[in-house]
Amino acid sequence: MTFRLTCPVCGKRDVHEFTFGGQERGPRPEQEGLSAEDHFRWVQFRMIPGAGAPQREWWYHGQGCGVWFTTTRDPATNREAGDDGGEG
Amino acid sequence: MTVGRGDAAGGPPSGRLTPGPTCRVDFSRPLAFRFLGRPATGFAGDTVASALYANGVRIFGRSLKYHRPRGLYTMEGESANTFMAIDGVPNECAETTELREGMSVRAQNVRGDPRTDRFAFIDAFDRLMPAGFYYRVFHRPYRLWPLFQNGLRRMAGTGVLDPRLRPDRGSGADGAGRRDAGVPAGGRLNADVGAGRPLNADVHAERYLNADVAVIGGGAAGMSAALAAADRGLRVCLFERRARLGGHLAWRVRGFEGEPLHERAERLAARLPAVETPGAANAAAENVRVFTRSPVTGVWGGNLVTGFTVGGEDDPFRECHWECRAKAVVVAQGCMERPLVFNHNDRPGVMQAGTAWRLARTYGVRPGNDAVFSVADDLSLEAAADLADLGVRMRAVADARDAGRQDPKPVAALEERGIPVLAGWAACKVTGGKRVSGCELRAVAGAGSRRVRCDLIVANAGWQPRIGALASAGARLAYCTHTHTFQPAELPGGVFAAGSMTGLRDPRAIEVSGRIAGSRAAQWCAGTGVGRLPKGPGRPETRAVTERAAAAATEPAPGDATTLPGPVAGCGILHGPAIGRGRKAFVDLDEDGTWKNVRESAAQGFDMPELAKRFGGFGLGPGQHRVAGQNLAMLMASLRGDPASAAMPTTVRPPLVAPGMATLAGPGHDVHKRTPLHCELAARGAVFRRAGPWLRARYFGEDPGARGEILNVRRNVGLLDSSTLGKFRIFGPDALKALQRVHISDMSRAREGRCKFSAMCNDMGHLMDDGIVVKDQENDYYLTTSSGRAGSTVEWFRYHTRYDGWDYHLVNLTDVFASITVAGPNARQVLQRVSGDDVSDAALPYMACRRIRVAGGIKARCLRLGFVGELSYELHVPSSHCQTLWNALVVAGADLGIQPFGLEAQYCLRAEKGHVIVGAESEQRVTLTDLGMGWMWDREDTASRKVGAPALRACEKQPGRMKLVGLRVDEGQGTPRDGALVVAGGEIVGYVCTTRRSDVLGWQYGMALVREERAGRGGTIRLFEDDGTGSRATCTATVVPMPFYDPEGERLRG
Repeated sequence: MTFRLTCPVCGKRDVHEFTFGGQERGPRPEQEGLSAEDHFRWVQFRMIPGAGAPQREWWYHGQGCGVWFTTTRDPATNREAGDDGGEG
Repeated sequence: MTVGRGDAAGGPPSGRLTPGPTCRVDFSRPLAFRFLGRPATGFAGDTVASALYANGVRIFGRSLKYHRPRGLYTMEGESANTFMAIDGVPNECAETTELREGMSVRAQNVRGDPRTDRFAFIDAFDRLMPAGFYYRVFHRPYRLWPLFQNGLRRMAGTGVLDPRLRPDRGSGADGAGRRDAGVPAGGRLNADVGAGRPLNADVHAERYLNADVAVIGGGAAGMSAALAAADRGLRVCLFERRARLGGHLAWRVRGFEGEPLHERAERLAARLPAVETPGAANAAAENVRVFTRSPVTGVWGGNLVTGFTVGGEDDPFRECHWECRAKAVVVAQGCMERPLVFNHNDRPGVMQAGTAWRLARTYGVRPGNDAVFSVADDLSLEAAADLADLGVRMRAVADARDAGRQDPKPVAALEERGIPVLAGWAACKVTGGKRVSGCELRAVAGAGSRRVRCDLIVANAGWQPRIGALASAGARLAYCTHTHTFQPAELPGGVFAAGSMTGLRDPRAIEVSGRIAGSRAAQWCAGTGVGRLPKGPGRPETRAVTERAAAAATEPAPGDATTLPGPVAGCGILHGPAIGRGRKAFVDLDEDGTWKNVRESAAQGFDMPELAKRFGGFGLGPGQHRVAGQNLAMLMASLRGDPASAAMPTTVRPPLVAPGMATLAGPGHDVHKRTPLHCELAARGAVFRRAGPWLRARYFGEDPGARGEILNVRRNVGLLDSSTLGKFRIFGPDALKALQRVHISDMSRAREGRCKFSAMCNDMGHLMDDGIVVKDQENDYYLTTSSGRAGSTVEWFRYHTRYDGWDYHLVNLTDVFASITVAGPNARQVLQRVSGDDVSDAALPYMACRRIRVAGGIKARCLRLGFVGELSYELHVPSSHCQTLWNALVVAGADLGIQPFGLEAQYCLRAEKGHVIVGAESEQRVTLTDLGMGWMWDREDTASRKVGAPALRACEKQPGRMKLVGLRVDEGQGTPRDGALVVAGGEIVGYVCTTRRSDVLGWQYGMALVREERAGRGGTIRLFEDDGTGSRATCTATVVPMPFYDPEGERLRG
């Protein structure tokens, strides 16, 4: 697996500089009255995007600026949305 | 051109031709080497194969299955015939390995001499080995299969790895050890690992490159592409697998546009910098980096090009793996020959046109005396005429193409030399066993045959492009019925193809195609770069380059491309005429796949190349996408009755050229951190171990169990280098909020001057880390983490607060501050002696934290903790003052029995105290509450949305969970170790995390994770241990309360 990601601070960098932070699933739910079932759903459930469907996901630029950011990537092609394969 | 057998001074040595202008061998520098233990001589510039051929070696090895004699067939490492064991390393490619002084070369898959191989008889039994025989024959009766399997494995194969050959990494930096690399561990010199091994034989480097354009192939097209891109200000990396640039022009002496072709190539190469030499003559060259001896192993997503460089004489490595991230890639890898399939086409003495040509032109070796050519393209006809000039007698030249389809120039050149071209003819059979003695030629269509005596047969069915890099980049390939080759039908973004692989043969057309590809690559860089410029900050120099490249995009395509000759028509011949059953007509020489095998495979339904590849092994292993590739596809299409255009290539799998396994393993640098006390501890006899990124002292002296160190901490006082602890400052208006989110305890209760012990959980409630938090002032805290988690703490905090937009700063001070732990009953006395401040129990009680001055004024943060279960102080001081403090403590405690202790002692001391280490007693099935640490959790707090709190709530009362329990192993039944299983009723119900025999307690204690129903105090559990060597033991243990040592905690508070 090799592709590049666009860090909002550093620009396009090799994916090995980043840590994957999972799919975007909305903010941490309020815990007052939160059922175990709902919490489990929020922690564990993932959407499986259809073919060619990009997903919104979190990445951490650990070997760079140390920022958490979201990007839209197609897991089938590893292309970020708006990426034409060239240099940014 | 004169040909001679020189004996006078200055002439070529025996067996060599007078060096021509393209000869790369330096006859003034002889190199002695051994083949099969016999001395032989080559010259600087030779490859192993060319030197062996010059020494009269014709049989290089034996084939995989049939043990047929095999000779030099290709010259670029495309066939496994000439894989040899060189200096004890198996499967080295003799064709591409440069000769070195003192090399020891051995043939492979041979019993004895390759000329008289003891398994040669197998060739007569080929009927027993049809396609897929390994899966079909010898399986009945089943009980005999192991016998056959072992026999087959012994008789078939390639190289054998010598386990005595191991790199001597332990020799340090002096280099002396490397010199002895040939001496195996036993001390006896391995005869095969001799003086030929260079000093850097075991050095494997790696390199990471960035380029705008990566050019693969340093022939005319590749060089032109590199120059075209560099002229537009782009940074170019050019990778060439051979030692020199020039491609197939490098050994051609034919005149073209007023100069010999090799000079034309040299003129192009002169515009490029010499290999990796900065400060070249012109501006364009400054932008190009040239890597020779650098085969490409693959092209990957995002245009990442990987490969390796083989070290030359002066390189500090044997092989260097590199990865080049490029915006655009130009593939100009040229062509290799498509083998002509005819009977006995694998005999030593049958070779490809380029092989014979390069032997003569590049290496000054006469390929043979009497030659027969059976070819199908104009370049091979040119080779025939050129070899005739060098004194090789042309007995016949056949061209499988019909009359009139040849380029008239080489035909005329041959006729000038009195050599008629048999158009529409091809080789059908080779005579001779271990060496070629003659050849039968036949008309491809119609009658007519002719037998010719010869000792060299040059045969091919035209040329096929090297599609490896294009295919691995993701290009879709389709069969082109004009060139009769696979051509890219669809290229991925930023990948361009150029040169002879696109079917071009005219040297100028090839150059222009390279220039066009280089310009298009520049346009690609510009087009995508310009679109993104406004987004990023854009360094000025990058902006300038991109703008120049953008300007290039509007230029017209260079050259008069339309008036140049296009791709030339190829030859679609499938196999030689009158092939018969093709029992000995080899489609794949590497895997011993014959035309008969291919038909058998198709007859049984494996009629697609991908299926046949698995079933019959055609084009597997070393033959991947090499010589067999295109033939297999074409033959399969014809067997299915499909038109040639339906031919499908098999999937290309990297590596396209195999690097050494050691190269892939990498240089093996152990990158680690050392604490400021590393040298001090080493001088005191510390044995180190890797702990996370750190090297830490495991124990001192001889005893891995560190029993003396443990007792000394319990009785006197010990010193521990705890500098590896994660140390952080968190401050800012929302610092407390962030702490409350990530820590499971109520962090608002952290007070100034007090250590607040807390833990971090993940969303599943698992314990991730524990540590101390000290409040320095409002929204300004100092916290510690475990050594292993220090590197991911910032990521963890930021992840769990990423939606909140809180304003806080988290600063990693791990390396800024060192830490020394003073622990033991005498700890306070020692501390008192190095500090003028009051460190009495009243001033500094258990779990207190104060800033004090130590060792003559060093500011220290003193935390009174009790991880090891004794009176102990953690002294955090600036790293640069750590050694001073250590010295002061050692002097102060000299009469109090102060001794350093290491990781093992700390591990045991805290285990006696029942303190958990994350990862040792916790795992992914147990939560904080399962570990008995639920008291830390602030269960009332839902407002902070603590990470892990909902999971803890859900799991708290869940039945059937695993719990951490203390064990006392019953006496007299053996001593179980860490990892022993807890069994009950024939079931595994848990395992022992940590267990040690304690000198202080006088019995063996342990901590185990067991299922709740077995965790009742006073209960007896069974431990079972299988150490993997067949020795099994069981014993019993009693569940006892923790801590085992000092349950009241008096020693901590004393």
